[in-house]
Amino acid sequence: METLSYQDVNHHVIDRCRSGDHRAQYELYKLYSKAMFNVCMRITNDYAEAQDVLQEAFVSAFKNLNTYKAEASFGSWLKRIVVNASLTAIRKRRAELVPMDERTVGEVADETSEDDTEWQVERVRRAIQQLPDGYRVVLSLYLLEGYDHAEIAEVLEITESTSKSQYSRAKKKLLEIMKAPQFAG
Amino acid sequence: MEDKLKKFAAEHREEFDVFEPQPELWQHICRELPHKPKEAKVISISFGDSVSFSANRLFMQVAAAIALLLGCGLTLLMMKQQAPESNNILAMSQAAASGIAPELAEVEAYYVSQIKEKKSELSAYDLKILGLGDENEIDAELARLDSSYIQLKQQLYTNPNTDEIMSAMIQNLQIRIGVLNRQLEVLQKIEKLDQQPDLEPKKDDTTRI
Repeated sequence: METLSYQDVNHHVIDRCRSGDHRAQYELYKLYSKAMFNVCMRITNDYAEAQDVLQEAFVSAFKNLNTYKAEASFGSWLKRIVVNASLTAIRKRRAELVPMDERTVGEVADETSEDDTEWQVERVRRAIQQLPDGYRVVLSLYLLEGYDHAEIAEVLEITESTSKSQYSRAKKKLLEIMKAPQFAG
Repeated sequence: MEDKLKKFAAEHREEFDVFEPQPELWQHICRELPHKPKEAKVISISFGDSVSFSANRLFMQVAAAIALLLGCGLTLLMMKQQAPESNNILAMSQAAASGIAPELAEVEAYYVSQIKEKKSELSAYDLKILGLGDENEIDAELARLDSSYIQLKQQLYTNPNTDEIMSAMIQNLQIRIGVLNRQLEVLQKIEKLDQQPDLEPKKDDTTRI
């Protein structure tokens, strides 16, 4: 079988889930819920909303498990659902998700000094939370969810170059936030 | 230009995941998922073993009853010896509880440790996985027992009839253990069936209190 090219480690569990076995579903939930919840948190930046999104995403994933064709890992398939559900949630919350397309491409100061000696995960993480929605989403997808600019462009329905420039701006803003004297690490 | 931030994020990827969803979330998800025939089959397997299960359960019930009677009898006997001094005292402070029922602290400590142990065993089975849906019932039952236990304890300080209250308290603790044991037994049964369908369950394991 050609599907052997990507035999997900979870395929037994996934098969059981397909037949509606709640214990198997819980196994997958236990395995992925924390990582996926953090994806929701980064995109929505709101605990209650992230919970709603996670619930919705898992329900939809289990109901549509037959569309999972094992051409990617189950984790990335699920993550796509979670990312889309999170994006839908913030789009609903705010009709405009930072007027990205309005931004001119280029003219981004590349010379922002990246003084990485003072970086700490917790500081960076909290600074990301302070970014405006549009910046936060692009930056999180690129830095933490392993999306490249082409994929970001696809899920956000923007161009690849917009994604790149949004990322540069987001990064600049992030470094500014961390440098600000009132930003307590 | 090298993206140091990207590098930093990649090196510390795991540490960025700091949030946890609420544990109840799975229940909500579970409720929205359809129950399909396959699961019914799993249930029917567990009923296939119902003969040994019910026998086991009967044995367990008898054992529990005997233990309960023994416990009550023993306590009453102990209480009788204490009776003369405690019956004279009508109301007293909590600090003087040892005067009314000196053995209470010991008995209580014993049962409380038992209950704790059972509870941790239970949570080890990941009650929620099973989606049995009755854990709320159990929690409610335990909470109800807990509040009536507190009431009894208060009465102990004001009511002269120490013997009766003490045995009611002990009974209360034993019922709790019974409830937990029953749940534990069911879970063990399910787990055994899942893992080694042909293994005979050990009968005495679950019947001890």
